[in-house]
Amino acid sequence: MKLRKASSIVVSIAAAVVVAACGGSAPSTNAADQTGTLTVWLMNGSAPASVIDSVNADFKAKYPNVTVKVELQQWGDIGTKLDTAFVGSTPPDVVELGNTLVAKYAAAGALEDIGGKKSSFANSGTWLQSLTDSCTVSKKLYCVPYYAGSRAIIYRKDFFAAANVQPPDSMDGLLTVGQKLMAAHSSDPNFSALYYPGKYWYAALPFIWDFGGDIATQSGGKWQGSLNSSSSQQGLNTLTNLVTTLSRADKTGDEAKQDAAFAQGHVAMIVANGWEVGVITDKKAGDPTLTDKLGAFPIPSHNSGKTAPVFLGGSDLGVAAKSQHLALANEWVAMLTGNKHMAEMATVGGVIPNNTSMLDLGTGINATFYGAAKNSKFVPNSQNWASVENANVIPDMLVKIFTKQQNIADATKAASDRITTLLNGGG
Amino acid sequence: MGVAIATPDLEPDLPDSRRRPSWRSVNFLPYALITPSVAVIGGVLAFPLAMLAWLSLQHYGLRELIAHQGDWVGLGNYQAILADPLFHQVIVRSLLFTLACVGLTVILSTLIALLLLKVRQAVRVLVMSSLVFVWATPVIVTVDIWQWMFDYEFGVINYVLTQIHVGNFIHHNWFDNPIQGFGVFVALVVWGAIPFVTITLFAGLLQVPADVVDAARVDGAGPWQTFRFVVAPILKPIFLIVTCLSTIWDFGVFNQIYVMLNQRPSSDYYVIAIYSYRESFGVTQYGLGAAIAVVMVLVLVIVTFFYVRETVKVAEIA
Repeated sequence: MKLRKASSIVVSIAAAVVVAACGGSAPSTNAADQTGTLTVWLMNGSAPASVIDSVNADFKAKYPNVTVKVELQQWGDIGTKLDTAFVGSTPPDVVELGNTLVAKYAAAGALEDIGGKKSSFANSGTWLQSLTDSCTVSKKLYCVPYYAGSRAIIYRKDFFAAANVQPPDSMDGLLTVGQKLMAAHSSDPNFSALYYPGKYWYAALPFIWDFGGDIATQSGGKWQGSLNSSSSQQGLNTLTNLVTTLSRADKTGDEAKQDAAFAQGHVAMIVANGWEVGVITDKKAGDPTLTDKLGAFPIPSHNSGKTAPVFLGGSDLGVAAKSQHLALANEWVAMLTGNKHMAEMATVGGVIPNNTSMLDLGTGINATFYGAAKNSKFVPNSQNWASVENANVIPDMLVKIFTKQQNIADATKAASDRITTLLNGGG
Repeated sequence: MGVAIATPDLEPDLPDSRRRPSWRSVNFLPYALITPSVAVIGGVLAFPLAMLAWLSLQHYGLRELIAHQGDWVGLGNYQAILADPLFHQVIVRSLLFTLACVGLTVILSTLIALLLLKVRQAVRVLVMSSLVFVWATPVIVTVDIWQWMFDYEFGVINYVLTQIHVGNFIHHNWFDNPIQGFGVFVALVVWGAIPFVTITLFAGLLQVPADVVDAARVDGAGPWQTFRFVVAPILKPIFLIVTCLSTIWDFGVFNQIYVMLNQRPSSDYYVIAIYSYRESFGVTQYGLGAAIAVVMVLVLVIVTFFYVRETVKVAEIA
């Protein structure tokens, strides 16, 4: 009895290893025998529904008896949901993680180490370096790069033509162009030349970085917040001037509504990801007639003719260490990040694909966003970074500055001290 | 479980009675009847509270959470929060917010309850059903509606205030200034609390004997004096209960602020429940969050102690 049980365990482990090792080439008879439910958490807005349906259809064809449950999560409270989910005994099998969140969960032992399976994922040799870095914690690989996103400025070509202005090539130029647009639309009390919601911290980073500032620096294993450095403050000063002069967006709001606001026709420019073009021109949520009126240009540097470094955002796909279906979960991830669906993500979804071999898929307006990714930076790569994000340190600081509750020096000092504490593991 | 149960034997102990109660003479029925409630209260209240206190004495981050094993730090978490200036602000802010909410709720509810006594039957039914409707609306739905009403760009409040020439409220941000923002939250919380308190007070008012009120009138008491010296004393137990309950609810307000501010309230809007949640789940310092929650329970115990004592006194007299 005992022996039989033991041998059956050995067989099932062996089967799991075979399935994992073979990846896509597992014998179809075995695949058809697989049963269970695979729970997948993807973020709202990351992959178009058509891409997910297509992945699930392919998966169903291979594993007819496995049910895949894709649950869309909201960015707002994802940190909390992930914490509680990973602690439970049945976490979701596959999770999409913002690239700034991976280190936290990997360091806490929540994700499966997939280093041994790396070669079973398509294009793993040409994965984007910064995404691969975000998946690598203590030299182990904990996730598969999913897609990247970098921001540029989306603008209304018709508004620019009517005001007789060109896309600017410096931050000063941006202000001048914006002022001309404001003047041209002075009769519209809702008009914003540059619509900038106060909590939009991803869009503030280029200004900080462009003047040589940073969020925090590391020396001797200790982090030191540096938003209060004079170069960071210079960047924030420039941004504050733009926001005060050109934006009528909610100074305490976040960027969740900016595409809807843009589609309403009272906005000339927004700082946005490439895929937001799709949201703006969406039949239901946006205005399809804007399709031909949209253009994009990179966020200009304060040095004329150059561009400012942008935040390279993106997502990775991890498999929960406690998943009951490790092999199936990895297989699903391999399908979504395989050539067929990754190309769909780029062409239909408008995101930057997870590997350099597909970068030529960026055409038209997308080319600007793909180009912006080349001059990009990342937030401090620390397992405690998620705490800085979840504590809303930078959004709070921006709101205090834009609403004039605090001056830049005081607000940056407070934020910087908090970041120093959090990054070094304090509460 | 260690829950002490008062003996049902009300006879005083006689000094010379040394007899031990035999099993037959003990009446087990009261114990048996009270066991389910004790078990439920123990399970859903005492156990989580004890766990919370236990957690507040440990360093408990995400790693510890996944491993189900924390590091003992004694009173370290309490020292940390007491040294945090933000915590002091949060406590003061929460107390002021509670005071404003409870005060307004009780005053407005009393006025509405008194009004209900005077109006015609049809109006009374209309007002009562509106109150029940407000009461029955789930808080998340309520907050969603209020969020749209006070929306910066599309809000009807800004539109109406501008249309009736109160001022230029186009693109007025109600949450720019935390004092104004808390004004909105007080309105929201009071609005949601009025139905229960009004209906409870109205039920109490119906019990006030008419002849006592008439007698006061005959003796020359005006409406205010009648209320102050005749009605209010009779309603005192009900006032105590609703004030006590409102204090507990309003001190723990979370949903209204958290949802209204898109789950990212700035630190100016931290009341104690949000602060505790942020420390626990935002910064994954569950031990620290637990310590804040314990302080919150202690403050509530102190605040409500006097009310509970009064309530017990009144109950004993009755």
